[in-house]
Amino acid sequence: MGWRLLRVSGLAVAVVTLLGVVACGPAGEDEFPSEQIEIIVPWAAGGGTDQTARQLAAVAEETCGTGIIVSNQTGSTGAVGFQAAATARPDGYTVGLATVEIAMINHLGVAPVTPEDVRGVMQYNFDPAAFSVGSDSPYESIEDVIAAAEDGEDIRVGTSGTGSIWHVAAAGLAREAGVEFTYVPFDGAAPAIAAVLGGQIEATSASGAEVAPQVEAGELRPLVVMGEERLDILPDTPTTQEVGIDWESGAWRGLVVPNDTPDDVVQTLNECFREAYESEQFQDFMETQGFGMVYRDAGEFESYMDEEFERFGELIRELDIRAE
Amino acid sequence: MSGWAAGFEAVLDPQALFLILAGVLVGILVGALPGLSATMAVAVLLPFTFALEPVDGMMLLLGIYGGALYAGSIPAILIRAPGTPSAAATVLDGHPMSQRGRAGEALSISVVASAVGGMVGVVFLALFAPRVAEFALRFGPAEYFMLSIFALTIIASLSESAMVKGLISGTLGLLIAMIGLDPIQAFPRFAFGSVELSAGIQFIPILIGLFGVAEALRQFERLRGGVEERPALGSFRLGFDRLKRLAPTTAGSSVLGFLVGVLPGTGGDIGSFVAYNETKRFARGEKNFGRGDPRGVAAAESANNASTAGALTPTLTLGIPGDSVSAILIGAITVHGLRPGPQLFTGSPELVYGIFIGFFLVYTCLLVVGLLGIRLWVQLMRVPTRFLWPTVLVLSVVGSYALRSNPFDVLVMLLAAVLGYFMMKGGYPLAPLVIGVILGPIAESGFRRAMIISGGSFEWLLTPIPLTLLILTLASIALAALRARSGSASSA
Repeated sequence: MGWRLLRVSGLAVAVVTLLGVVACGPAGEDEFPSEQIEIIVPWAAGGGTDQTARQLAAVAEETCGTGIIVSNQTGSTGAVGFQAAATARPDGYTVGLATVEIAMINHLGVAPVTPEDVRGVMQYNFDPAAFSVGSDSPYESIEDVIAAAEDGEDIRVGTSGTGSIWHVAAAGLAREAGVEFTYVPFDGAAPAIAAVLGGQIEATSASGAEVAPQVEAGELRPLVVMGEERLDILPDTPTTQEVGIDWESGAWRGLVVPNDTPDDVVQTLNECFREAYESEQFQDFMETQGFGMVYRDAGEFESYMDEEFERFGELIRELDIRAE
Repeated sequence: MSGWAAGFEAVLDPQALFLILAGVLVGILVGALPGLSATMAVAVLLPFTFALEPVDGMMLLLGIYGGALYAGSIPAILIRAPGTPSAAATVLDGHPMSQRGRAGEALSISVVASAVGGMVGVVFLALFAPRVAEFALRFGPAEYFMLSIFALTIIASLSESAMVKGLISGTLGLLIAMIGLDPIQAFPRFAFGSVELSAGIQFIPILIGLFGVAEALRQFERLRGGVEERPALGSFRLGFDRLKRLAPTTAGSSVLGFLVGVLPGTGGDIGSFVAYNETKRFARGEKNFGRGDPRGVAAAESANNASTAGALTPTLTLGIPGDSVSAILIGAITVHGLRPGPQLFTGSPELVYGIFIGFFLVYTCLLVVGLLGIRLWVQLMRVPTRFLWPTVLVLSVVGSYALRSNPFDVLVMLLAAVLGYFMMKGGYPLAPLVIGVILGPIAESGFRRAMIISGGSFEWLLTPIPLTLLILTLASIALAALRARSGSASSA
């Protein structure tokens, strides 16, 4: 209820701001942004999150009409960067890049930071998890895998680490289907995929983009995608809904600001970053790199983060993978 | 054959050739500065390649990759501070050579061995890529575990003269590597509630402190004692005889380095130690190793450069990166809408064969630039000691900070420096510690993954590759023990 109210009032602010900009041009009372904006990326330079942030920042320099720099503050599964964004001055000039881990690490016992510590500006990406087996596997569908697991077969699923989103996504799928898998954590998706190709394990849970090269080469068989819609890069793979499993999960990325940032500043940021999101340059980049495009506005992203936080809390408690 | 023609056409182009040269120069710069790594330079320059043709962009990045792996040896030889983790094994004989007035020769050997190692690696890549990639896939967790156990026996053979101290040093390395979240269950170990410690100890600050800064501390001490020794640089020439004598070492080490590089997760850092150890094991006069044997430098340097081509093998054929640099190279390929994997060979032959040809040219360019540059690098030794070592200290602080912009890494570096200083004083070898830090996590996660996969049984130990490695491990330990005993008997 409260969120809906916020969303409605957010919309009103957006409309008013837009009218204001159109009617009065730069003479409007709100002069934000007049200084350089810094985007804090909690992951290393050169990685997927960093690349999306730099592309978005490059376009947003024009749409927001100010300089934008990207700084990488890495460590502790993103906690260092999330914390820096949450405790920055709430004036809109420090924007944090939030990834799905912000909704997980508190439950995992890694760091205290949660989505409660930040305000959403917009979500720009969602990559659903894909569950894949080797192309020489006897399992032709996710139903085959579930039936085998019900018969007591050991289904060993490689993930990019205990408590990683791809582990939790696979575990959620198993829980929904009422079976149990064995999880083998690797240092990232690539070695987990290699272990499936080498026949050491049966399956892997990773993003669609991460398995796409091996799928195209005919070495991996994707069985299900844990998202609402089929992926362009895996057009023949059914979604969880299509196979009757009520479970969607994956990695997402978005922008956040400190909690006390004023509504109008959040709205201005949302406006100009949305414009950057919709630009041809950004859309092209996301498409060629295989990143899923999902947009949520400030209010929607805020409530989405809260829902995810709730959901992960429940699941992680059940999986008993908390560090302490 | 048309693939080769397309590759030549793409690479033999002024812009591509210029980017190779530029890449090699940038690579040499970041490789020679401790703390700046090839991974970092490739990541920073990656966005610039988006605007270039795929082949041209790859030339720049491959140039950096090859140049950095070579240049790590320059400070390793001259000031005992490896510029990259892969140059840690180069210190073992490179620095003693330099102290004995043979710096020029050591640098020349390092350039030639790096270039030859790289070229051998590229030839193997071009000839055997798909088949070798199949071999890499057969390495599962059990195989990684036994491989790292086998590699850990290097500690024993490196410490024949001081076995107990070597084992203490190695164990210390394994302990340091245990700090932080464990690789399987993400449980914090030795973290004492600290967020920094639970993130784990970074390897590069340890390396910088242990070697470069510890050496600086020792030099300060000497300076206070009024001793300023300035070893001669010696000749830069490598006669035909010398090259002929180093040829078997270089060839063997190149192949070993390539194979270790092929395995995802193991690279030049391990490859150079493995090659060094095997060279020592099969060499006549192995007593000279560790005291400035040119074969030690040739082995380490050819292996670490050969590993670069090895790392590209699973990257290009399977889309699975062989190391952190090739992981970024995948980004450089996918941004152009291409996907690494078998279809890349048929779909974009100009890129695949362009990479083969271009990477070979990178090492040709490296040979020329390196040989021309040696006389410039050694000017470092002409810097008076009282300026040189403070500069090393400052660069070490900056380098450790630059890694993650984290002051904690500077603290780690300083603690490692103090540790390294006292270890040197006490006659504890440093290389075993480095090997422990590198191999500990691979061994542990390999073992635990193998146990999860087998459901708690040890049956994996009896499968062909792990069993072979187990036998080799036992033989290697027995040999080292035998040599240590005969060594102490003869000296007694």
